[in-house]
Formats: sequence, C-alpha cells, structure tokens
Amino acid sequence: MTKRKMFLRMITASLLRRRSRMLIALLSIAVGATILSGLVTIYYDVPRQMGAQFRSYGANMILLADGKTEMTSESLEKALGLIPESELVGAAPYRYVRLDMPSRQQSFTGAGTDFEQVLKTSPYFSVEGEYPVNAREILIGREIAETIGAKTGSSLELSYKPAAVISENAEQDRHSGASLSGSAEGFNKVPLTANVELDEEGRIASIEVDASSQTPGIGSMVGTDKAFLDQFIGKTLPLRLSGSGSGSGESEGGDSEDNPAQEVDAVTGATVSSQAVVDALNSAVSSEKAAAIENTEHFTVTGILSTGGEEESYIYMTLKDLQRLTGEETLDVAELSVSADAEELEQYAGAVAESNLGITARLVKRVTRSEASVLGKLQALVFLVTVVVLLLTMICVSTTMMAVVSERRREIGLRKALGASDQSIRKEFLGEGVFLGGLGGILGGILGFVFAQVVSVNVFGSSITLQPLLLPITILASIAIAALSCQLPIRRAVAIDPAIVLKGE
Amino acid sequence: MALLELKNISKIYGDLKALDNVSIKVDKGEWVAIMGPSGSGKSTMMNIIGCMDKPSMGEVLLDGVDISKESQKKLTDIRRDKIGLIFQQFHMVTYLTAVENVMVSQYYHSMPDEEEALEALGRVGLRERAKHLPSQLSGGEQQRVCVARALINHPELILADEPTGNLDEANENIVLDLFRQLHNEGTTLIVVTHDPEVAEAAQRTIVLEHGRVAREVINENFGK
Repeated sequence: MTKRKMFLRMITASLLRRRSRMLIALLSIAVGATILSGLVTIYYDVPRQMGAQFRSYGANMILLADGKTEMTSESLEKALGLIPESELVGAAPYRYVRLDMPSRQQSFTGAGTDFEQVLKTSPYFSVEGEYPVNAREILIGREIAETIGAKTGSSLELSYKPAAVISENAEQDRHSGASLSGSAEGFNKVPLTANVELDEEGRIASIEVDASSQTPGIGSMVGTDKAFLDQFIGKTLPLRLSGSGSGSGESEGGDSEDNPAQEVDAVTGATVSSQAVVDALNSAVSSEKAAAIENTEHFTVTGILSTGGEEESYIYMTLKDLQRLTGEETLDVAELSVSADAEELEQYAGAVAESNLGITARLVKRVTRSEASVLGKLQALVFLVTVVVLLLTMICVSTTMMAVVSERRREIGLRKALGASDQSIRKEFLGEGVFLGGLGGILGGILGFVFAQVVSVNVFGSSITLQPLLLPITILASIAIAALSCQLPIRRAVAIDPAIVLKGE
Repeated sequence: MALLELKNISKIYGDLKALDNVSIKVDKGEWVAIMGPSGSGKSTMMNIIGCMDKPSMGEVLLDGVDISKESQKKLTDIRRDKIGLIFQQFHMVTYLTAVENVMVSQYYHSMPDEEEALEALGRVGLRERAKHLPSQLSGGEQQRVCVARALINHPELILADEPTGNLDEANENIVLDLFRQLHNEGTTLIVVTHDPEVAEAAQRTIVLEHGRVAREVINENFGK
C-alpha cells in the first residue's frame, strides 16, 4: 500500500467513522456553498432577469430606414440577424399610414405590425379584449374608441386612398420641375387621369389628360381639346373651374382662392369631365404615389388599447392587412427589445449601420441608462451578501474544525508520538478540510441551483439558466474556503505536545 | 555497549527539580524497569527518553549521539526511527481498525504494508481481530495491538509507560510474555511501572525517588 493510499484511507475513515462532528462541518460548508452558488447564479442571471423586467418598459432600440432606401421585411430580417438571437427579446415592425373612415369622414393613423412581437416589445400595452389574430381584425386606441363610439366587436370601414391621403402632400409635391399625376371621378363616376409637368417656377409646363373612359365625343374631348388644355399652361395649382362653386368630389378645390389666374373654362357640354380634370390635377401627386391603389375594407374591432400615450389614437392591424390595403411593403420603423447592456447595444447599432442594409439603429437612451444603474446597484448588493455569507461560513467551519482539533487532541498527540511531523499533521487536517470542502461544494452547488431557482421564480417570476461552469467553481471555492478555515485549527493541532499521551495526562 | 545513557541530567520547572542530576545507562538488548512513586520524576524521565522533552541540564546519549540539544523536529525523527512507544491507556486512533492503527506507525516511519502489519498482529495473537475497531476490542486486546504497533518498525528501543496499568492479570501476563519474546530477540526494553510484579520481570530495576535514582536492583531471578 502506498503512503497516499494510506493517507486517503485515514482521511476517509476519519470522515466516515466520526460522522456527527464532520456532518456539522460538512453542513456549514454545504450551506455556505449553497448560498454562494445560488447568489452567484442570481448575480449572473440578474442582468438577464432584470433585463427582461426592463424590457417591460418598452423597446430599447429602434431601427429606421436611413432615408435613402426603404425598409422592408427582408432588410429588417437581415438587420435582426446581426443581433444575437438569445438576446433579442422581440422586434416589432411598424408601418404607419393615414386611414380614412368614410362613414365619419375622419382620418386616423393606422399602424400595421406583428402583434406577437408587440407583446414582447411593448408589454405595457393594456388591451381590453383580444389582440387581432385573423385577417381584418383591428385593435383601436382608447381615444379613437371614445371618439367614434366603437366597442369590441364593432365593425369599421376603413379606406386607404392615396390621392386623398395626400391632398396635403399634393402641395409638397408641387415643387418646380415635378411631374405629377392625379385621377378623379368624371361622368358616371368613371375615373379619368391627368398628368402635368411643372416648370422651374412651379407653373404647369405641359399637360396630358387620359379621358378615353369618358363619353366619346363629349367627355373625351377634355383629353383632346387643345383650347381647353392650353388654358392650363402657365397656371399654378390648385385650380378651379370658372363659374362653378367650390370644388367637389374628392378634390379639395375649396382651397383655391377666388382668383381668375387659377380658373379654367370647361369644355362645352362636358362640365363634369372638365371638373374631373381640375379635381385630378388638384389632387395630383408625384407619379409613383398616384400609382397606388385606392382600397376600402371592413374590419372588426377585437380590442381597445390603453397605454396612456399616443398609441391610444392609433388603429392597429396586422402588417399583412395593411400591406394588402395599401399595396405597399415598406416598413417605417421596427421597435426592438434587446437584452443587452448599453455597450453591447451600441455595438449592435454599429453593426447594423455598417451592414449597408439601408437601416439605421437608434438606442432609446432613457431605458438603457436607468437599466445599467439599477443593475449595478443590485449586483453590488448581491456581491456584498455573498462576501458576508462566505465570511460567516468560514467562521463556522473554522469553529467546528477547532472543536474537532480539541476533541482529537489525544489522537494528534499519539500521531506525533508515533513520529508524525508537523507537516504530516498539517497535511492530514488540510486533507480532511479539502475533502469536506469538495463534498460540501458538490452538495452546495446542486442545492444552490435549486435555491437560485426558487428565488428566481419567486422574485423574478421566471426560471434561471444553469451555468455549467458554476458547479466546478463552487466546488473549488468551497475547497478554498474549507482549506482557509482550517488554517487556525491546524496551527493549534500542530502545537499539541505529544507528551500528553503519556500517563493519561 | 550502552544504547542509552543519561549523564547528569536535571529537569527544572521553576522551583521544582523534577529530575535532579540523574545518570543511568541502559545497554543494548537490556530490559530495564523504572519504578518510583508519583512525583518521583518517572514521567519526566520517560518524556526525555522518549524524545518528547529535553533536560534542563546534562546529556542524553542515544546510540552514542547526544540528543539533548536537538530541535523538536529532529527529536521527532529520532523517536520515529529508533523508539517504539507503548502507553498505559493504549491510545489507538478510534476510527481506524486494529490493522490500520498498526499501519499508521508504518505510515509515519516509511511505507504502510498491510501484510506486514497483519503479521505483527499475528505475533500478538490478534490476526483474527485485525478488522475490528478499538471500541470492539477489549483493553488487553487494545494493548496487544499497541505492542504490535510499537514493534512494527523494528525499533532499537521499546519504551513502555505503565503498559499493564489498565489490564487484568491474565492480560498482564500476555503482555509480559510478549516483552519476554522481544527481549529474547534482542530488543532493548525500558518499562516504567509502579507494579513490582512487572518490574520483577525485568533484568534490572531503577528506583526513582524525589527526582533522584534511589537505588538499582538486579533481578536475580530473571530468566528463571
């Protein structure tokens, strides 16, 4: 048998056959290790936990188109790919448009989004009823609900009309050199279209009217009658038909002042079509916009949204519904909730900017900053408690080992009488300490995970992730603590006089 | 040739002279008993011979080497290498079995060897009890284990402190028989006792009184 084997045999025998005392030491180490590993788990899990808590205050990162390229679902998807999946709590895309409610002749802001993601990025949304799930279901803000008297289950007609939407935009589009097009209902409500080009001064330089849909030889003349068309050249928008009242139909001709410079004469016998041309021009917007489809659909209100903020004046629907309604696929913004600290967020924002996806990322500073400060304080607290617990454990183990040494005085004296050097005595006690530390560490590591789990579930309401490195670290730390705690007792053991074994002194 | 020689040693604790200018000589292979009432200086002498204490004055020659000025560490080495100890109260490691207790001595001396330890137990008639814990052994058996432990490293000197003090007569005889065997094998034995019967088993008895050697008695019946 080797010396090492005998050493281990003595130590294990000491621990196994002298259970009661050793159990106390083991227990104190295990309790210490439990608290240690539990708190460390929480220490490392707190940022994640608290991150999730903070995420309930809303998005901490916003993605927008950079102004040159439009943002689409595809480019957003790619941008999100730059953020670690494990840290991305949610990403809600938004598209905002002006929606009309023909029944009330009112306009509201409509938002298309992904409600599953909204739940993650805006957990503070309080919905009375349900989030929309199916097509043609909408969530409306409380403010709107109160204005129009809508309730859950109400049916609303909403329409997206690019021309109307843009009446005000039309003015913006009337800049020099612009090419505009518009359409309006003519005779028998059949639409005609008109295109104009503006010169440097913003005056009409050329005009083209497609009136082929109008009554041939009568209404259709508005597209071919040179005298009629020539009147428009040199005039500025908006215009009105001489002799008529304020504008009618979809246009907002009423805007034009009573100014002969902005009047045109109708083609004889084709007043309605002539009016349509004027209306079309007044509502004309840049050509691409004009290409958009006008659409009206019925929606069912599934829920009323309360947030205390501007969201209460929005109408929310699924992105799919909005895209179908508008015929557009662009996104205005995406709100992201990312479980990361300010530094990491900056890093991700940088990565998104560098990716050339035409997307810029902005941080919501208010949220990230307060998050960092609260986390710092919490971690400092956990750290402090850990240090105190470690100290208490050391005191407890040290006291127990001290008792063990005085209980074994005679045995230590005997060993020394038999020729044990101070070194041997030191080694044996340290060996027992390390053994206890290791055993206590294993126990504590396991119990600590359970402890952290319980704390986490009760305090944070979510379970924790197991840190695989934590068990070996706990065991090593326990061994170190046990070894350190044994120093004083060992010193006392070494000082024992072997002569005590003689004569039953 | 003298294995152990105490030359004019004194041990002084404050005003008390526990040993007062004592000189004794023990030859190799000799069996000596040290007797005396309590307070006579027996224990102090035993401590000094056992390398657990140093005299205040005088020389201690063990195997011709003066050990009276050696460091504690050196004394431990000497004790481990040359001396086998037997105590009145047996002193076994309570959580180790009989054979393990013998092996502890081997462990500190050189290498634990279970076979050899079992043989030593066989010599004291306890091979069958090797796996028993001290609490499962009688007093006599425990002391026999201690004898086995003392002789396992083949020490030049076996120092026994009241080895039969806690034993009944039957067990006392067993232990004394073991001593006789050891003596016959040439082991030097120093037995501290207050029991005249035990002292009579030795070749020579040194009687201490008040820290001095009162007289020495040669046992003429020895070996008969």
